[in-house]
Amino acid sequence: MADREVDQQLVERVQRGDKHAFDLLVTKYQRKLGRLISRFVRDPAEAEDVTQDAFIKAYRALPGFRGESAFYTWLYRIGINTAKNHLLANKRRPQINTSFDAEDAESFEEASLLREVSTPENELMSKEVVNVVQTSLQQLPEDLRSALTLREIEGLSYEEIASVMNCPIGTVRSRIFRAREAVAENLRPLLETSKGNRW
Amino acid sequence: MKQEISALMDGELFEDEADSLLELVKLESGAHKDWEMYHLIGDVLRQPEYIHCGLSAKVHGRLQDEPTVLAPRVRAVKQKIRTFALSAVASLAAVSVVAWMSLQITHEAAPQMAMQQNGLHPASAQIKSKSNDYLMAHQEFSPSTDMNGGAYYIRNVSYSPDENGAWDKQQ
Repeated sequence: MADREVDQQLVERVQRGDKHAFDLLVTKYQRKLGRLISRFVRDPAEAEDVTQDAFIKAYRALPGFRGESAFYTWLYRIGINTAKNHLLANKRRPQINTSFDAEDAESFEEASLLREVSTPENELMSKEVVNVVQTSLQQLPEDLRSALTLREIEGLSYEEIASVMNCPIGTVRSRIFRAREAVAENLRPLLETSKGNRW
Repeated sequence: MKQEISALMDGELFEDEADSLLELVKLESGAHKDWEMYHLIGDVLRQPEYIHCGLSAKVHGRLQDEPTVLAPRVRAVKQKIRTFALSAVASLAAVSVVAWMSLQITHEAAPQMAMQQNGLHPASAQIKSKSNDYLMAHQEFSPSTDMNGGAYYIRNVSYSPDENGAWDKQQ
């Protein structure tokens, strides 16, 4: 079952009246959508508000979503429109090329164009989270680190990773899980200190 | 179960497994936290410049004020389309079978008729001149002809090869 189909399952649950399923979609896409919106709305606090608005608009529009496109493409389009409308309402022009669309959003990786939009309250925490994850990754055994990197950064499927690493798919699945869990073990104590915060 | 959650977020579970696990992740707090944690790790690896917390909690809070959305199930719509398509295909197949069967009957009947015609033709060729005389004598009494009386003047002519193989006109 592909990633897109997992989204579709969650969407169908929401369409049947299950709000909790939408929480899982928010958890999954909050930072991707937030990063996209921050390209339009430069103020971090405003960008976060617009991201929230985009999710609420998506939730309201979900009965009309028929699955012709991927959920994330549809969501990114709503995000871009919400950001543009926000700027228009405040009589400001988008600060980036407005021909940028949802399809581009799926692949943009130009970190140099981005700037950090962490709010002052969580800026330190965010930096610590990044530090712990990156340090934990470096401490992983080579096979676990490679499996996780190929999956998360290169976006390869388990089958492709198995081919690259010359091992069975079941081993790939196990390595990726063990890598994630090793990083999570280091991260949990840090996140538990930020009570009330959900990531 | 954590390993299944890890595979689920990579889209590497079968549909039935994913369905039951999504239900669990949605309802069970520990599983939900693992879902959040694994997504956070992935996002940090992909985009360390944009990591923030609290957004999902705020959206969750705002969702409580939203009316529950309800929509026709996409799968149900797809199922209806599939049912309609299958019905159409079944109807088409039935029509095709009937058409094929009728064509078969026609094809079988046609040679029989042709054979019958072939069989008749030699018989007609064997009509002798004696028969011609008989027919000529009684033709005007035939109820099937519109040329009662006039047929008397019609001469019946046929050709047949003579003993030497040459064609000869017979009256």
